[in-house]
Amino acid sequence: MFKIFINPGQFTKFADFIFKPLVSLSIISLLIGLIFIFFISPDDYQQGSTVKIMYVHVPAAWLSLLTFFIMTIYSIVALAFKIPFGFIINTAVAPIGAVFTLICLITGSLWGKPMWGTWWVWDARLTSVFILFLIYLIIIFLRHSFTNLEVGEKITALFIIIGSINLPIIKFSVDWWNTLHQPASISKFSSPSIDPAMLWPLIIMTISFSLIGLLLAIVRIKSEILDRKQLL
Amino acid sequence: MLLTNNLSFKRGSKTIFHNINISLSPKKIIQIKGRNGIGKTTLIKILSNILVPSTGEIYWNGKNIKKDSHLFFKNFTYIMDTNTSKIDMTIYENILFWKKLFLSSISDQMIESLLNLLQLNIYKNVMVKYLSYGEIRKLELCRLMIEQKKLWILDEPYSGLDELTTNIFNETLINHSQNGGMVIFSSHFYPPITSIEDLPLEHYANI
Amino acid sequence: MLIFRSIISIFLREYLITFRNFYNVLTVIVFFILGVLIFVFAIGPDKAIYSQIGIGIIWTLILLSTNLSLKKLYQDDFNDGNLILFYISGISLELIVIIKIITAWVFFQLPFLIIIPIVCLILNVTTDKIILLILTFIISSPILTALSSISGSMNLLNNKNFAIGSVIIILFSIPIIIFSVNIINSTTVLVTPQLNILLGILMLFLAITPWISATCIKIAIRNK
Repeated sequence: MFKIFINPGQFTKFADFIFKPLVSLSIISLLIGLIFIFFISPDDYQQGSTVKIMYVHVPAAWLSLLTFFIMTIYSIVALAFKIPFGFIINTAVAPIGAVFTLICLITGSLWGKPMWGTWWVWDARLTSVFILFLIYLIIIFLRHSFTNLEVGEKITALFIIIGSINLPIIKFSVDWWNTLHQPASISKFSSPSIDPAMLWPLIIMTISFSLIGLLLAIVRIKSEILDRKQLL
Repeated sequence: MLLTNNLSFKRGSKTIFHNINISLSPKKIIQIKGRNGIGKTTLIKILSNILVPSTGEIYWNGKNIKKDSHLFFKNFTYIMDTNTSKIDMTIYENILFWKKLFLSSISDQMIESLLNLLQLNIYKNVMVKYLSYGEIRKLELCRLMIEQKKLWILDEPYSGLDELTTNIFNETLINHSQNGGMVIFSSHFYPPITSIEDLPLEHYANI
Repeated sequence: MLIFRSIISIFLREYLITFRNFYNVLTVIVFFILGVLIFVFAIGPDKAIYSQIGIGIIWTLILLSTNLSLKKLYQDDFNDGNLILFYISGISLELIVIIKIITAWVFFQLPFLIIIPIVCLILNVTTDKIILLILTFIISSPILTALSSISGSMNLLNNKNFAIGSVIIILFSIPIIIFSVNIINSTTVLVTPQLNILLGILMLFLAITPWISATCIKIAIRNK
């Protein structure tokens, strides 16, 4: 079971097995989520219907962090135990994380214009997420700057490990600094400061976003594996 | 005593060479031969524990050099295909630096006579950047005498040397091997030394 | 004890090589002064503005000047095989990195200590701020040198993308810039905590830089 996470062959088998169910599942969950968002979830009494941007913004933000976290773990594993599958994951997943971060930034500024009256403010949360986007870009560029593929992968993995310093900064930026961005509403699971009517669509959207991300990741990882087989 | 056991090296999926067995005992000189691009420099880097072979082990006095790399590093001189002398330092400063870096016990008189022999003594206080390629190469070979190690691993030692220096170098090789030293080198030049053993890399290359 | 002789000899060598190319260091300082001039031309000669943003300008230019000395750190020694020589000589690469960082700091950052007060006077920065600026510079400049060591060792084999080394330095120096500039513009109560944070970052980088740089150099040596 554990081997599907580190062995390309096992992974391909498992990916082929779950691919079709995954497609249907993500379509269904996305549909349910959209129906929830547009017809069932209530408008905020302060923010009006713009609050519905949240259902895209928050899952994208979560997934951008999760992607980076996965990349960090795989970099450590790949460097420490000499498992090249980690490098494959890094290569395949970095653009997906970059796109999630970009979605998060764009929806955030679309949300910020009606609420705060400006597209962009230089506060801690926004800036740190913007830096995360830049780190993703550098990861993608760094791998392509080396003629020797193997060297590029190792250096990129080291860079990812150093760059993961940014993750806790993003997470705690709203607590450490006085910011315009609101603090997390769902961190306290015992009593979340969010209405259940809004919490459910958010959870469904998060699930569907993760499924879509997983789907893209599987396609990219498989093509990366095939690419390398061709090189061999 | 340097022993290798079924050395092979792959770059990507391409096998450069496979199943090389070398046994380099004292008083022996081995010359690695082969056309350009066949992997002579790669083999030399593997033997000096800079590259890691794909399969196979290398033993120095019965110990695996991967595990006892520090012990192995203390026992050989590696002459690269590049010139390690710094161009902004004089010949004498370079030699003094090597002497201190490798904790050598060579005396000042020895250095003096070495420079005399190689006809470098008139440039002793000249910056390396004003020397010609052959002279820089001669300076590089001085490291052999300064480090005073048992095993010499040389990459293209003959490049850029004139006839006189080539003869001196041949004598040095013979002297070293007669004193119980070991030499393994790669070259396209075939020195007139009878005791040299050949290692034609063509035989080990993948077809 | 014998190993100290080799370490001192490496120090001596670094000193000789950098000292004989001292015009490199002077060029970096000229770059710094020219940068200040450019800012003056771009923003205008109003002195009231510079007492506010002068510190930011100085820090930006220090950061950009650090990028200039980046290539010098390891590339020459890597190309002519000296790093392999060090590797074989039995001195650990981490130690070599520390030596390199110390010499680079002495030669490429310490000269700024003389030039910064002069530039501050030109830019109309008050005296108490100059003292704080020098204090933060002494703490932060080793971090910048450590960053250029990391970036320089990462890009030893990079022969395609010449700009990414500078990009990495600027990316990781963001927290340093934040705290270094903030200290000077904040109230006296907040000075000590921020200095402590800077010192913490310095300790972190002094701890991880030798390890990261040595790993990168090892990767580069193995794949040359």
